[in-house]
Amino acid sequence: MDEYSILVVEDNPDDQVLTVRALKNASRNSSIVVVEDGQEALDFLFGRGSEEPCVNLDLLGVILLDIKLPRVSGLEVLKKIRASTRTNWLPVVMITSSDEPAELVEAYRLGANSYIKKSIDYSEFSDQMAILARYWLTVNKVPKAGSVRQL
Amino acid sequence: MIGRWRLRYWPLKAKLLFLTLFTSTLGIVLVCASLIVVENQNYRQRLESELHVIAGILAEQSAAALVFEDNNQLTSIISSLRRIETIRQACVFDATGSVMSSLNTLESADCPGILEPPPMGFVGDYYQLLVPVTLDNETVGHLYLVSHLRALRAHIQTFIVVVFGIGALIQLALVFVALKLQRVVSQPILALSGTAERIAQEHDYSIRAPVSGNDELGRLGTTFNEMIGTIEQQNRRILESRAGLELIVEDRTSQLSLANKELEAFSYSVSHDLRQPLRAIEGFGQALEEDCADQLNETGKDYLRRIRAASVRMGSLIDGLLVLSRVSRQPLENQRVNISGMLQEITEELKEISYSLPTDIRIQSGIWVIGDGRMLRIAFQNLLENAWKYSSKEVQRVIDVSATADSRFITIAICDNGVGFNMKYVNKLFVAFNRLHTPSEFGGTGIGLATVYRVIRRHSGDISAKSEVGNGASFYIKLPVLTDQH
Repeated sequence: MDEYSILVVEDNPDDQVLTVRALKNASRNSSIVVVEDGQEALDFLFGRGSEEPCVNLDLLGVILLDIKLPRVSGLEVLKKIRASTRTNWLPVVMITSSDEPAELVEAYRLGANSYIKKSIDYSEFSDQMAILARYWLTVNKVPKAGSVRQL
Repeated sequence: MIGRWRLRYWPLKAKLLFLTLFTSTLGIVLVCASLIVVENQNYRQRLESELHVIAGILAEQSAAALVFEDNNQLTSIISSLRRIETIRQACVFDATGSVMSSLNTLESADCPGILEPPPMGFVGDYYQLLVPVTLDNETVGHLYLVSHLRALRAHIQTFIVVVFGIGALIQLALVFVALKLQRVVSQPILALSGTAERIAQEHDYSIRAPVSGNDELGRLGTTFNEMIGTIEQQNRRILESRAGLELIVEDRTSQLSLANKELEAFSYSVSHDLRQPLRAIEGFGQALEEDCADQLNETGKDYLRRIRAASVRMGSLIDGLLVLSRVSRQPLENQRVNISGMLQEITEELKEISYSLPTDIRIQSGIWVIGDGRMLRIAFQNLLENAWKYSSKEVQRVIDVSATADSRFITIAICDNGVGFNMKYVNKLFVAFNRLHTPSEFGGTGIGLATVYRVIRRHSGDISAKSEVGNGASFYIKLPVLTDQH
């Protein structure tokens, strides 16, 4: 079975460490890529300027996208991902610490596949990450980027 | 009688005209009537005296003929009366009372006997007259005359027609004069009332009533104008101050919406930024406990657990505050909400979370209110959770929910058999962060009832509580039946 990789877009260094720790505990074989803000995420997915992107999208299983990010917010990144035929099929899970109903609605309106509120209790958070990794990396199937483009 | 026919419903002009005409008609009728009475009296007197003169002359002429019993002479004297049209009967009696000669134009009347003299004067349609005939102061016989009064009637009738004809003409003239003259009185009043009507309809207080003369009407007009002037002035002042107020309101509204936006931004960052470090504290605490367990003794592990528990508690405090701020600023929706169903759902959830002791929950069915379903859910969830929590140390938990309603309010009572509280502190109950129990007794943030209070107040309702230490607590939620929310 292919082992998909996970893209984590998270600005806070503590959260980066805690998220990666929880994901690693849940799925040891997955490769995890961490980028620090929305702009970096866009550069990673679409390339910077004329540069080709360095990522092979075929291997990307899920994007964990924090909503509150410096410079380009998570919702804007989501909008760009959904706007491009290159990336619009990618599963995107919004991760947030806030509890704003309006934000939840907006995330789904923009095409998020899932929405998760980070629990303060780390055991719960670890459970959330474990479920996430298990579902998106092993249960769920995503098409190859090439086949999407051909369609 | 139909109301509008009454005098007081008539227009002023008609009233004035009516009063004038009524008075003048009454006067004219009275004058005419008295003229007729006087004329009637005069005419009778004239008739009477005429007849007396005729009778006197005849008596003188017939005296000699009576003495000499000259019947031919008497007949020719009596016959001369035919020329007087009104004489209907004439009889000459001798001294003994027997008829010597008579003239009769009445079909069925003989000369009356004079031993029992007939009634004299005006009798019915006739005037009857009996005069003695004397010669040298000695009565030699009697003369009896009956005159018809048809002439009198005809005269009076003509007189009545003429008098009333003239009266009618005078009345007609008076109508014209009254029509002209009533304007002197009615015109200023009508002008005044017209002005008042225009002002009332157009709300234009710059209009003034025309004022003429210095009588009561003139003064009324002047006073009216002064009054309108005062109103105009006050109106202007009110409009000016209202414009000022509108500016202030506009200013305040923009300030308020700015403050609201700031509050929203603030609560967003509270929700996001306060939670993040907490998550780090809690997360690294656990990571430390798991990854470095061999380097920690029991005391260290205990401290770590305390750190993590404190972070979790602070997390729920932040959550509570966020809910409180949300129920304060979110716009209210108006829906029909099934409170009974909602309470059933909440109870089921509570049973799933903690069901450690026998629980008897009675919820009256069919409680409906109008309000914001999500907010009411937050409120009733808090209330039921409280009832659940504070009755968790009893042998059996009893929670009873019932409702009573009048035309304006529905009151929902939530009663438990839990530890209750001292009524001394009832005022602190609905204030955020005020707790009546220590966290070791019962967990909680101290924000729940403040949130409930806010939700109920925003629904224009009210909440009160009754309790006795050790004897349970009752909360009464009063909500308007037809909510007019702002």
